[in-house]
Amino acid sequence: MLSLFFLPSTRESASGRIYRRAPWLLALSVLALYGVLGRQLFLLSTLGTVFLYIALTQAWNILGGYGGYLNFGMVTFFGVGAYTSAVLFQYWEISPFLTAPFAGITSAALALLIGIPTLRIRGAYFALITLIITFAVQILVLDMPFTQGALGIYLQPLSLTPLGVERLFYYLFLACAALVTLLVYAIEHSNFGWALVAIREDEDAAEIIGIRTVEVKWIANCLAGFVAGVVGGLYAQRILYIEPTGTFAFDISLNVVLMAVIGGAGTWQGPLIGAPLVLLVADALRVTFTSEVNRAIFSVIVILIALFIPGGIMGLWTRWGRGRAEKAAAGGTQGARADEQSVQ
Amino acid sequence: MLEHLAAIAADGILLGLIYAIAGLGLSLVLGIMGIVNVAHSAFIMLGSFFAFELFERLGIDPIISFFLALPVFFVLGTVVYRMLLTRLERVAQAQGLVAMFGLMVLIENLGTIVWTTDTRVITASYTNSSVVVGGLFIAKVKLIAGILALALTAIFWAFLRFTLVGRAIRAMSQNRDAAMSAGIDVRRLSTMMFGLGIACAGAAGVALAMIFPFSPNTQVQWLAWAFLVVILGGLGNVANTLVAGLIVGLLQTLCAAFLPFDYVYLVLYVLLAAVLVLRREGLTLAVRRAI
Repeated sequence: MLSLFFLPSTRESASGRIYRRAPWLLALSVLALYGVLGRQLFLLSTLGTVFLYIALTQAWNILGGYGGYLNFGMVTFFGVGAYTSAVLFQYWEISPFLTAPFAGITSAALALLIGIPTLRIRGAYFALITLIITFAVQILVLDMPFTQGALGIYLQPLSLTPLGVERLFYYLFLACAALVTLLVYAIEHSNFGWALVAIREDEDAAEIIGIRTVEVKWIANCLAGFVAGVVGGLYAQRILYIEPTGTFAFDISLNVVLMAVIGGAGTWQGPLIGAPLVLLVADALRVTFTSEVNRAIFSVIVILIALFIPGGIMGLWTRWGRGRAEKAAAGGTQGARADEQSVQ
Repeated sequence: MLEHLAAIAADGILLGLIYAIAGLGLSLVLGIMGIVNVAHSAFIMLGSFFAFELFERLGIDPIISFFLALPVFFVLGTVVYRMLLTRLERVAQAQGLVAMFGLMVLIENLGTIVWTTDTRVITASYTNSSVVVGGLFIAKVKLIAGILALALTAIFWAFLRFTLVGRAIRAMSQNRDAAMSAGIDVRRLSTMMFGLGIACAGAAGVALAMIFPFSPNTQVQWLAWAFLVVILGGLGNVANTLVAGLIVGLLQTLCAAFLPFDYVYLVLYVLLAAVLVLRREGLTLAVRRAI
């Protein structure tokens, strides 16, 4: 069973590995440095939101990008995580920083509950159920006695300066984003990741070569639920007040899908490109348009990408790189042929 | 008590008829063409506003709008099919789903731009009156909407069963390749079938607008109902969809009468999960060709 998750990695020289990883590590350290040096609250908070979405989109990416099973209701896991932490604070006064892992476990349990009926069968049932279950969970949260319905739950503010709070969450979400990206990178290069890709490409064939397709999908979905739950728990502490409509906003589900599809689903770099890009463009558009026009524009972009650019921006990038490599290879063989002719 | 129960049952049956046509379009498009139309409820929402606009601007009664919606949404459906769906045949299933999801978001937000997020109602002359049938008080709108829905279901059933085109559509759903070699123009029929599915969604939107308040951004709830009807009734079968719609309608009114607040959703989702677990083989076969 372990061999499913721990991976024979490709052999590569140490210098090559460092060369390849250097840009990413550099970017990470620049961002970490900015957390100390940056003094603009707005920028710190926006970047914090970007990191939050990177973590969510990477979590979505595991089953949605690699496995091809789309989750149109990521906000369900996120909101359940936020509410778990908030309710635990409300009744036992435990800080969300301590209960975030528990929020993750609750969301993972919900993910399993959704996955058991829908991931045993193939096709679009999972996508449809995740799309419509947000609505049901939101109504339940509105009506349950212990969630205080539409009143919502207030959390205790941290005893820090505003800048200190923004810095704290900047680092927390940066750490979340980095860890989840690392996890997805590891998954991409593991047998587990290959199993997911096999499921996406041809589920019959995947089963024939011995992949336990249903279990693999369940685990991927639970991982996504866990990450979204943890992030949701931290988010509750960040905004200090949660209520059903805002916490289960369809916009969050939509953003996650947009970011993954535009950046490139099924690659670990995709969410890193998609999340900042979508938030940046959305912010820029917000100045001139209302949020509805904004979403309408994004939905047209998503339709066009789904139809004409399957891999999103990462897909374009790899295709461009491959095309260049092929051209270089073709040029090389031609040169060799010219050499042969000159010898004759 | 007995009278109370009978009133609940009558209410449930009439609602069920409407849920049946809400699910019918989804069921036919999914079962016969294998297209998972995530945007189905967005078209239902458009149908509701179609009736709303005709009523507010021109004073046209929703009963007439119900029949007007059929050709209008048929054309809309064929246009969407030509522009979007024909291109989806070549891409992977997940991408097709993403595109349909994009279409849903697009329609919802265009709807919000035009009509804002305000909740609307249509108040026709008969909206608040009721009739007495066999000692039971039944709201007149529900009776009218229910009868319209039943008529539409009957038309679809007869169309698929007795006409040559209907027979060709059924052939296409059983074996696409064989239908093609028998000389059926599969592409034209698919366009038509999708148009019919959307026409059904539009008409369902009109019927729902007669009874419930509506707004552009709550359309996903109708997807939940329609999908439940489809799962319960199986794919692409008109008679089964009707029965499933009736079950869902009855269940909703019974739950609403005997359980506190919105537990009905919990009951319905548990039912949905149970059906998915129990019927999984039957469903897998039908979805193998899904986009």
